[in-house]
Amino acid sequence: MKYNRDVDEINSARESGLIPQPLPLVSLHDVSVGYDSAPVVQGVSLAIYPGSLIGLAGPNGSGKTTLFRAILGLLPSLGGSISRACPLSNFGYVPQSAALDPQFPLSASEVVEMGAYGRVRSYQFLPKSEKGRIREVLNQIGLPHLAGRSFFSLSGGQKQRMLIARALMVDPKIMILDEPLSGVDEESRKSITDLLIQLTREKNIAVFFSSHDLEMVQRVADGIVRVDHGQIQLEERKARLQP
Amino acid sequence: MTTLLEIVQPSYLLFPALLGTLILGLVCPLVGSYLILRRTVFLGLTLPQIAAAGVAFTFWLQQTGLLPQLGQGEMGIAMFGSLAFTFLGMGLLGYLEQRGKGLAEGRLAAAYALAGGLTILFMVFNPAGQVEVLNLLKGEVIALSRGELQLLAGVFGLVFVAMLMFRREFLLTSFDRDLAFLLKGRQIIWDVLLYLLAGLIIAFGVIMAGPLLIFGFLVLPALAARPLVNRMSSFLALSSVLGLVMAFFGFYSSVRLDLPLGPTDVTLGCCLIFLAYALRRISPQRSLALIILSLIALWSPGCGSNIAPVPVPEAKTLGEKTVWLARVKNSTALTLLLPATNPLRSLAEMAGKVSSDYRQSVMDLLRESLKTELEQRGFRISLPEEKDARFAAFPADTGTAVRVAREGKLSGFAFVGEIRRWEVEAQKFVRVFVDFKLIRIDDGAVLWERRIQRAVPTPSATNLGQASADAVRDIVRELFAL
Repeated sequence: MKYNRDVDEINSARESGLIPQPLPLVSLHDVSVGYDSAPVVQGVSLAIYPGSLIGLAGPNGSGKTTLFRAILGLLPSLGGSISRACPLSNFGYVPQSAALDPQFPLSASEVVEMGAYGRVRSYQFLPKSEKGRIREVLNQIGLPHLAGRSFFSLSGGQKQRMLIARALMVDPKIMILDEPLSGVDEESRKSITDLLIQLTREKNIAVFFSSHDLEMVQRVADGIVRVDHGQIQLEERKARLQP
Repeated sequence: MTTLLEIVQPSYLLFPALLGTLILGLVCPLVGSYLILRRTVFLGLTLPQIAAAGVAFTFWLQQTGLLPQLGQGEMGIAMFGSLAFTFLGMGLLGYLEQRGKGLAEGRLAAAYALAGGLTILFMVFNPAGQVEVLNLLKGEVIALSRGELQLLAGVFGLVFVAMLMFRREFLLTSFDRDLAFLLKGRQIIWDVLLYLLAGLIIAFGVIMAGPLLIFGFLVLPALAARPLVNRMSSFLALSSVLGLVMAFFGFYSSVRLDLPLGPTDVTLGCCLIFLAYALRRISPQRSLALIILSLIALWSPGCGSNIAPVPVPEAKTLGEKTVWLARVKNSTALTLLLPATNPLRSLAEMAGKVSSDYRQSVMDLLRESLKTELEQRGFRISLPEEKDARFAAFPADTGTAVRVAREGKLSGFAFVGEIRRWEVEAQKFVRVFVDFKLIRIDDGAVLWERRIQRAVPTPSATNLGQASADAVRDIVRELFAL
């Protein structure tokens, strides 16, 4: 695949010193995460660089979401340190769509619009520029025709892409996606993975996504973080993982 | 009978009440929408009940002498109790939520049961003030004065503006707390603000309109709007519109059919929910047609002309025959004794809560006024009990009245009256429902009959007795077309 060749060329150029080393967007050093002092994942050390596509693989309940929540500052870590090179408002977070309450009457465009809420003041109407940006990200994910549809009436794949669009609305430097391919048909999986690859290559956005499907992660990601029984294994493929 | 066009005139007696109900209908659903979406709808039921307990508590404190008697300041005392208990209750529920002990629904259910129990207990402790507390808790928005309307408009206007201004923050923290944290930092301030606004409208609303109506306005319009829309902005807008529809047509039905406002509004709100689910099953064109037809159906009888009421016939049409003016029958559950000087004691007496010596009643006053008026018009009036003491209680239905009159060897005509409802509302008006009949005893023919069922304004009354006296005068004037 062409992007693999590109990445290989970039990596060899970096190693030869032709391209300066970028700073990591997120660095974890010996981090332990869990609930009520009981660690779920321990000893995590990794750095995520701009433009890298990293997969977090592991079985259900292995602590993938817990690790993500710690990186996003939603959960305090039990040990170690997490440093971020950009504010949390530059983190594009894509939760599992099943975690969102279908009781809410929301159109797809209203869900995407939420990504702009950090920039719009309370008393303001949504500026035209933000409306234009919504159209732009909807075009980017290839679903502008579904803007007016009820968000919860969309298919699993369409919902995930809309949530990616919402994450793009924050102008992210890094995107964290929790099981974006779960409950999604094969065609949508392909379009989502293509979109993630495109974001890393064209926008230089770092993408860190989780999946319990190791095979799929191996097929897509530049690097793999495997989590099992509370332990982490790093597998560098095409991009830098460990500082 | 009151028409739809009549109630929207600013000069209409109950116009402030109509505006007050519309304000409740506009603002409450905005807050209630979030309570429903956050699945904390029982908070909308529990907080009004806690507010009601606060009202009963402050009146009890006043009765024990721990709070000063403020004369006409009942509303202020009630407001204080309502606000204090609402925010105290919210704080306690919030603390328990933070501790995370037990089920959220369980906590709300227990708080509701406790508040309901305390409300009754505080009223039992305070028998002399039971009627006032009950009146306040019934929430007669119908008795809203212009000053109270201004207060309501001010508080609810503030809540309305805040709900619009912070709609994005409320939506984000309700829908996706993680994203809210990433974009706006800690979101607890928005939770606190939302519940503060909810507490504010509940505490004020319970005093102005009662717990039932407030709970109805909080949840029913939003529940009716939910199946019809797929956008949050449309959901909020439609909830408010349906709240206005519920308020307006509920008010109109209440006035027209002489029904209590709270239950009428709530019943209408439930009908709106059924209608919404029915509309969802049919095409938009048919839905629109159905809505238009429903509105026309509601509008048509409302705008129709009234049949002019017939005044009491001329005396000469009865010849020189005697008219037996029977004691007016009291079919209410109240004694309707006219109060003495102590308004608190009098209220309790009117409700039959405490014993009293003989006093003149509304029935006596009404018959005296009728007697005076009939005699002035040349009728030969006699009182049945003067002929036979057993006629002190005279039946009001035609058949029995005729039979009893014949058995008592009365001849001529019987003038009977029956009070079915007589409720003095904060001295501003009296809700009356009174029937009168003029019956020919020989053949049982009803020569004339008249029903007066409306709110009789008593703006100049300074106490409850005067309000009843003014209402009697107004009724007699109407009967004789003065």
